[in-house]
Amino acid sequence: MTSLLQDPLLWVLLAVLLAAVFAVMKARRTNMALRRQNENLRSARDGLQGERNQLYTDYAALRTQHSDALAEVRQDAEAETKDVLKSAMRTLQVLADEQQHVIDKAQRKYGDDSEILADLMLVDHTNSQFSRRAQGIAVLCGGWLGRRETIASVYDVARSAQGRIKHFDRVRINSQVNVSVAPRAVEPVAVVLAELLANATNYSAPGTPVEINIQTVSTGVCLIVDDAGLGMSQEEKDRAAELLDPQGPVAITGLGNPPKFGFAVSGMLAARYGFKVSVDSVSPYGGVRAVILLPENLLTTNVPEPEESGATGHRHADGQSAVPGPTPVPDPEPMAQPQRLTSMATSAHHAAPARPVGTTAGGLPKRRRISSVSVVPFPVDADEAEREQPEPEHGGQVTAARISAFARGTQLGRNTPSTEGPEAQ
Amino acid sequence: MTRPDEEAAVTGHFVRSYVITGGRRLPEADELSLHTLVTLAPDAELPLGASPEVREIWELCAGGYLAVAEVSAHLGLPVGVARLLLTDLFEQGHLLRRAAPPRAQLVDRETIEKVLHGLQTRYG
Repeated sequence: MTSLLQDPLLWVLLAVLLAAVFAVMKARRTNMALRRQNENLRSARDGLQGERNQLYTDYAALRTQHSDALAEVRQDAEAETKDVLKSAMRTLQVLADEQQHVIDKAQRKYGDDSEILADLMLVDHTNSQFSRRAQGIAVLCGGWLGRRETIASVYDVARSAQGRIKHFDRVRINSQVNVSVAPRAVEPVAVVLAELLANATNYSAPGTPVEINIQTVSTGVCLIVDDAGLGMSQEEKDRAAELLDPQGPVAITGLGNPPKFGFAVSGMLAARYGFKVSVDSVSPYGGVRAVILLPENLLTTNVPEPEESGATGHRHADGQSAVPGPTPVPDPEPMAQPQRLTSMATSAHHAAPARPVGTTAGGLPKRRRISSVSVVPFPVDADEAEREQPEPEHGGQVTAARISAFARGTQLGRNTPSTEGPEAQ
Repeated sequence: MTRPDEEAAVTGHFVRSYVITGGRRLPEADELSLHTLVTLAPDAELPLGASPEVREIWELCAGGYLAVAEVSAHLGLPVGVARLLLTDLFEQGHLLRRAAPPRAQLVDRETIEKVLHGLQTRYG
């Protein structure tokens, strides 16, 4: 035993054992510490994760709020822009309309000079195109086109539209339809048709014709515009269909730059006035076929006045020459008498400008002598003459006075720019 | 003036004159001067597809001779435009025309002024 005690190996073993025990204890302590630490970390992580999720939700909420606010601001900005543009366009529309009046007057004033008249027509043409653009932008901004007071035949609506585009001379109108458009729809239909014509002429070869065919269908009247262009891709057609059937206000900023107003304007107007526009078919010439379908409620079968009297009053709305002789009632104005004699077809009840003649007729007795001028032969047909009421006593004189006044008026008119003034004195 | 939201009336002529002429060159005044008289040829028949303006001329001229200026005034169109339409009809043989009646003899301005003056002293 003692020998064993004295065996160094034992001590060595003992020492090793002690060291091992100590090491195990230490390891265990470390382990426990680590485990605790791990748990702490884990809970910290969970907390952080929760916090992060919270932040995520907050962030998403803020983001929606932000985009809502942004959309609102955009909408406000768009609405404000539209308002401003609308009133600006209104000014331009009024100016274009005024200019048209001025041109009308000038055309009548210088109508005898073919060169000046041709130049005035160029100015007029440019002004009409300008007016159409202003109208288009106004419509997109929720503005108005301006209303017509009178009905117009579908044919005249087509011709009016024709006049608003650049290449109007490429447009042919075929119409066998004798229907008129109600006053409120006259201008919108003309504008839409003009936009379709503008598209048709712009997207087809320069020399090719663009046709308008007007047809009656069971639900109304169709205005069909055919061009010989390249047609539209499916994508373009889809986009066009979207614009032509708008579900709400159209964002003017979404129309490209330079903007393409045509379909958007057409869609807005069609929706507002209740007609249909489509461009999804193919024309027999290979291009696009655009169709405007006007329902019955925008049409009327009344015969339009052959011309709408302008506000200037320069047109002698000599009225229903389309329905000759519907007014057998004698005109109280004796001035109308010679008018009727020289032109049976003009309606009796509306004398051409009575005023200047009236003032001149009363004056100088010498005028009566010019009755020789009234060699203007009256209608030979007796039946037409007897349709006339008994002539007022001074019929011959008045006739002479009028015709002489007219003859001198035209002479004078060619010599001086003023047409009336000096004559009456 | 209308209110901002109200639709203003548009009063310009609906169909512009260059559309009526089809952008064609306007004829000179030589053939049809302002007081050339025109009327329908006796056996003229309205061409098919005649424009409203041509129809109107047709009706205007059916009753007897009418001066070019009068036709233009009745149509409410510039003389040049009416002249183009009339020239078309004339070339198609639908219209007859005759020169204006001879002018009254022109008296020199001095005489006219004297007469006017005399009248004014007497009646004015």
